[in-house]
Amino acid sequence: MNEKTHTLPKAKIEKAFLNWVIWALPVAAAGLCLYFILHDFIFAGPTITIYFQSADGLEHENSTVKYRGANIGEVKSMTLTKDKKFVAVEAKLNYSAGDVARQGSVFWMVRPELKVGSISGLRTIVSGNYINVQPGNGPRTNEFLALNEAPVEPVKAVEITLLTDDLGSLQKQTTIFYRGVQVGEVLDFRLADDSRRVLVRARIRDEYAPLLRVNSKFWNAGGIDVHIGLFSGAQISAESAQTIVSGGIAFATPLDYGDIATNGAVFALAEKPDDEWKKWNPVIPLHGVPEAQKEKSSLPQINSK
Amino acid sequence: MDKMVACETCGLVQEMDAVPEGSVAKCARCNFRIAYRRTSSRSRTLAFSIAAAILYFPSNFYPIVTAFYQGQHTQTTIFQGIKSLWEHHQFFIAALVFCTSMFTPALKIIGLIFITLTLDWPYWKKARTWIYQIIRAIDPWNMLEVFLLAIGVSLIELGQAATVNPGRGVFSFAAVVVLTLLATLSFDPRLLWDSPAEQKRYE
Repeated sequence: MNEKTHTLPKAKIEKAFLNWVIWALPVAAAGLCLYFILHDFIFAGPTITIYFQSADGLEHENSTVKYRGANIGEVKSMTLTKDKKFVAVEAKLNYSAGDVARQGSVFWMVRPELKVGSISGLRTIVSGNYINVQPGNGPRTNEFLALNEAPVEPVKAVEITLLTDDLGSLQKQTTIFYRGVQVGEVLDFRLADDSRRVLVRARIRDEYAPLLRVNSKFWNAGGIDVHIGLFSGAQISAESAQTIVSGGIAFATPLDYGDIATNGAVFALAEKPDDEWKKWNPVIPLHGVPEAQKEKSSLPQINSK
Repeated sequence: MDKMVACETCGLVQEMDAVPEGSVAKCARCNFRIAYRRTSSRSRTLAFSIAAAILYFPSNFYPIVTAFYQGQHTQTTIFQGIKSLWEHHQFFIAALVFCTSMFTPALKIIGLIFITLTLDWPYWKKARTWIYQIIRAIDPWNMLEVFLLAIGVSLIELGQAATVNPGRGVFSFAAVVVLTLLATLSFDPRLLWDSPAEQKRYE
């Protein structure tokens, strides 16, 4: 073969791809695993145990723990306690919600409820029951006793006691009105120790607290008042449509009002208002802006990962 | 003296100088790599297999899907999926998913790591070739992972009723599939029968 007539092209020699670079792959894989493990380890929320009298409607690995409608944890397991009086529901909280595991936090189950004047928990008909929480701020703990029903949301308020002979249509959360405006609600009630009267614990929200004076008068505003007069015909009056079904309490403060009532003040709850009470029209300056409006003005801090 | 080589890709016959370490020869016409063997077959296979082996654990340990349905959520790992298929008396599909998603990837990874680590071993060469044959044979079966995908798609079809999010597991799983594929591709079976001197040259 003649080399001069057949000149072949020449292969190019180039720098090779660095061989060790391939080992970055296993290192990256190991790094990813390490990240998964560390992430789970560092961002693990606490596991808490909540004792329920009945865990009806909860499902393990399926039911959630919620606060203000946001999922903050999930139910991991349900076991019966040794004395068979409670169901110990173990729930794993999210990292960002770990702060909920404090003494004073209250847990309760949200289930569909139909009461006179209110329907609640409708969503749970399809989604199943879930656990709701109201965070406390005590020292850390991992064990809680669940409430049987939803607690009243705590707001700054003046707590008072009303004495009445008969509970009537009053119930928890029954509204307290001042001139038809909702200013407070009933917290709970019980029979007095001598069982002659009913003690109704109620609260007036802080922003309306100046309205409540030591000589204020309370009356039962539930139901419908029907007055039939010879000349005036029939007069039907009610505080509001809501009070017709679920009852209500109203109060008025006289023109020569006394000191502002403080926590623990006791008032009598009259069956019917005196005509005079409804005419009282004192000038009382309300201090401050309602709390709900205050909250809106400042952006919340997000407690995230 | 220069060597005469033919490009594997375009067939051009050309001269090639001795290739120094850290360099590769490229075809004068099509610019494709010219080599006697697959480049650094041993270390690549080993690297891909080890990466796959590491990711095999999260792919099976972590959920592949997280489904939110009516406020409740369920997390499913591959194994839980197989278990529930079995409990619903879908024995064949359960076995199929188990084989294609858990068994064969594990077999492939272990086999590849074994044969790449024992290349210098003068014994059992036939047995190791046999292992390689098995790995090649089960390779197409790995494609059945699309079955898993089909299940996932049917879940996502629930769209309106449920929200389906991929979990950590599914990403790891996808990585395992790709890595095992690359590992088998980069393994050069000729390495199995090389003499020690040849091995030094080609690995």
